[in-house]
Amino acid sequence: MTLLQVEDLSVTYRPRDSAAVRAVNKVSFTVGHGEFVGLLGESGCGKSTLGHAVLRLLEKPASITGGTITFDGRDVTRLGEDELRPMRWTNLSTVFQSSMNSLNPVITVREQFADTLAAHPDIAGERVDVDERAGELLELVSLDRGVLRRYPHELSGGMKQRVALALALVLRPRFVLLDEPTTGLDVVVQRDILDRLRELQRSLGFAVLFISHDLGTVMEMADRVMVMYAGEIVEDQPAADMVAGQLHPYSVGLLGSYADPRDAVVDVAFTPGRPPDLSREHPGCLFEPRCPVSVDACRTKHPELLPARRGRARCLLVEVAPDGSARTPNASPRDRSGTVFSADAAARNRGPADGEPILVVEGVTKTYRTQRALGSTTTTAVDDVSFALRPGRVSALVGESGSGKSTLARLVTGVEKPGRGSIRFKDTRVDRLRRRALRGYRRHAQLVFQDPFSALNPTRTVAYALSRPLRNHLGMDGAQARRRAAELLEVVGLSPAAQFLDKLPGQLSGGQRQRVVIARALAPEPEVLVADEPISMLDVSIRAEILELLDQLVRDRGIAMLYITHDLLSARLLADEVMVLNKGVIVERGPTLKVIGEAQDPYTRRLLAAIPRPGQERAPAMAGRSDGAGQTQSLGRPPHGD
Amino acid sequence: MKFFVRRTGFFLATLWAAVTLNFLIPRLEPGDPAEALLSRLTSRTEAVDPAQLAAVRKLLGAPDGNLLQQYWEYLAALANGHFGVSYTYYPYSVTDVISEAMPWTLVLVGVTQIFSFVVGTALGAWAAYRRNTRTDSLITLGSTFLGTLPFFWIGLLLIFVFAITLNWFPEGGGYGGGSQPGWTWLFFSDAFQHSVLPALSLLITGPIGWILGMRNNMVQTLGEDYARLARAKGLPRRRIALTYGARIAILPNVTGFAIALGSILGGTVLVESIFNYPGMGRLLLEAVSNKDFPLMQTLFLFTTIGVLIANFLADMAYGLLDPRVRRKDAT
Repeated sequence: MTLLQVEDLSVTYRPRDSAAVRAVNKVSFTVGHGEFVGLLGESGCGKSTLGHAVLRLLEKPASITGGTITFDGRDVTRLGEDELRPMRWTNLSTVFQSSMNSLNPVITVREQFADTLAAHPDIAGERVDVDERAGELLELVSLDRGVLRRYPHELSGGMKQRVALALALVLRPRFVLLDEPTTGLDVVVQRDILDRLRELQRSLGFAVLFISHDLGTVMEMADRVMVMYAGEIVEDQPAADMVAGQLHPYSVGLLGSYADPRDAVVDVAFTPGRPPDLSREHPGCLFEPRCPVSVDACRTKHPELLPARRGRARCLLVEVAPDGSARTPNASPRDRSGTVFSADAAARNRGPADGEPILVVEGVTKTYRTQRALGSTTTTAVDDVSFALRPGRVSALVGESGSGKSTLARLVTGVEKPGRGSIRFKDTRVDRLRRRALRGYRRHAQLVFQDPFSALNPTRTVAYALSRPLRNHLGMDGAQARRRAAELLEVVGLSPAAQFLDKLPGQLSGGQRQRVVIARALAPEPEVLVADEPISMLDVSIRAEILELLDQLVRDRGIAMLYITHDLLSARLLADEVMVLNKGVIVERGPTLKVIGEAQDPYTRRLLAAIPRPGQERAPAMAGRSDGAGQTQSLGRPPHGD
Repeated sequence: MKFFVRRTGFFLATLWAAVTLNFLIPRLEPGDPAEALLSRLTSRTEAVDPAQLAAVRKLLGAPDGNLLQQYWEYLAALANGHFGVSYTYYPYSVTDVISEAMPWTLVLVGVTQIFSFVVGTALGAWAAYRRNTRTDSLITLGSTFLGTLPFFWIGLLLIFVFAITLNWFPEGGGYGGGSQPGWTWLFFSDAFQHSVLPALSLLITGPIGWILGMRNNMVQTLGEDYARLARAKGLPRRRIALTYGARIAILPNVTGFAIALGSILGGTVLVESIFNYPGMGRLLLEAVSNKDFPLMQTLFLFTTIGVLIANFLADMAYGLLDPRVRRKDAT
């Protein structure tokens, strides 16, 4: 039974001052009653636009330019706002991406339930008991009824998202669109909410379109998964089938970026390049420029979304046998060297584990004082933490938000001073440095920020961003700095540098920006690099690429790196040593594989358990994916448990 | 509750500081007001007679004793509402002079300010609600255009058209010949006639800031996820526009409005002098040009207190309107 049927749907953005962009292009799919469908894609692929189109929430300059949306047999594509209103929330409800901002900040949670119920008296009943109804739903999502009296800012991110979920279910809708419902939340909280969601979906029987860039989550949650690329659906298969064998080369790349960090050898793929400019016409396959297995025909012929196996795929190379079975393309990859890095497991020579430490943190404690109504309370952000960084080696600091890991980054870079304990860089006590001396120290210890979108001044060129540290710390003049900036860009793989020097951050992709941020951190030739969640804001298909770059820098330049993350997989790929931080205390530490493979502390285990596992166990498709070597950059290495 | 107590304490502390500064600053200024008065009274440039000077001092009630003593006397005088004698309007006391000018300004500027805010906010909200339509363009472009016109020029233009050419309204003053201030119908209609043009000039430019501020804030709030979610929830358009748009967008404007209200006490110097209106603004101008220290000082004090009280009220209102502020302050 079909509940939602989307046919040939196109959405075009027509901004006033630039070319029209076709964000969604002739997309067709169905969602059955009670079905859980995943929509997977990277930022900018059009998945959220598609979601908003289905909900008929598009706003100018975006509009539906073709196709139909049929909900429960009724064409809703061109219904006016007044006709849509009674359908909204009673039939189609939604949970938005940013839990931070989807609740009205100036009214209580109760009021946001109340206005929803009041807007639909025919479904909710004229005299509905708001407290009873809303309280019941809050309990469903494991929240206390007292939350009703709260304002959104009094709730944590996880609580807000639970409220949003409860709100979405208050009228018992038949279809719920979840747009990245847990992105930005801590892994453990994320896990909790998703489990709850799946349970509710089963018991209440609503259909779900689950939009996410988080592959592991989608694979695990959904019955069927659609993969979107550049405004088109490129693959659509039952989740289990897709885990077992992807049809489209893009899906192969996406799934390749996930692996179990506990394995002895971890392979992670990445797909170099970026999506095409959708304001122009492309005659061939949209993925062709990034595709490792493309053939000449791909450049001229735009593939159709054709049935394959138990689903559909949009690739010229998918060969469908008469019996319906299909084969993943396996053409010989074109030579792509020069656009990718090759990290050879054998050639990885990191610094010795027992080398002379360059930075030693000893017994460091940092407390913050918060003003309260009466007196003040103190929070211990970091409690008696000790570790050492060695040249050419990476130490990972793993923990959730609020675990104190960013405080440690600030302490190590001298931005803040510890309450107790010492931080030594070679023979210098970092915690005692003042003004000029501190500036001198910063030359040696640089920071790579989490968000490449806000770490660069949007009004200054790349050359300017890179020249500041060169002039400040190394005293270079304008021409020298520009030459050096160009060299740095080459080092971080932005080549040819001349193309990037005069660009503004807005003209670069996320991955390119993060490379610029890394180049800027490298500019004063630091000996210690603190990378605070450097890949968490990036698309999955390019995360490995940045890890690769960091790995190479550590090897080539003998930099000592403190890698801060909440993600055990990336820690496993990059770090020699792992420290797990919980509430300011290091609860577990040791060589990477040992900590991750034989986690002892319950907290570490919880972090591990929170990592989604599509298909319950490691997919055979990924283990045996040694073909297409061009797209699979093996970052894996034998356990080097020093 | 904590929030309100803290705000009150803060208000009292600022008030004290303002009052004290008002006491100190004139005493740090060079020049002797008694001498200035004397030279004006005698309109002679020759050296003043010390006896005369002493007499004038006595007359003005010039302070003696040390600074602390003076300060206490000053505070006591303030508490009793004694602000001294105006030099310009001698022998009237400052209190008399001000209480005569105050109602004119309060009514003219007060009414137009409140009206400007209400109209401006409403128009801004409407423009935001209908953003990117013709209504929006008309409101936004229209107010931007009016905003570029010099204020005094609008005033003069009004006088030229409506007072001189059409002769509909008097060209200046608070009330005209024939009527005397009092609770009579004649006086009120006369005063109203006189206030039309100055009020009009204030109303043309007054709402512009509120319109643009409100529109921009509200366009932003309506673009937020909560507003989009409100649409997805199927809420009526009115509810979305008011509770999910205007209700949040108005917050920054509230502070601005409070400051604007506070400055009412100071009057609007420009309007009042163009229209020769007998309000606080003109009084201030006279006080400054005549070195009328007691009057000046009192006017400044009134303006300061006005702004402070208005700010205090705005803080209170903000606390009621925005739960986030309450919380931030309480923890």
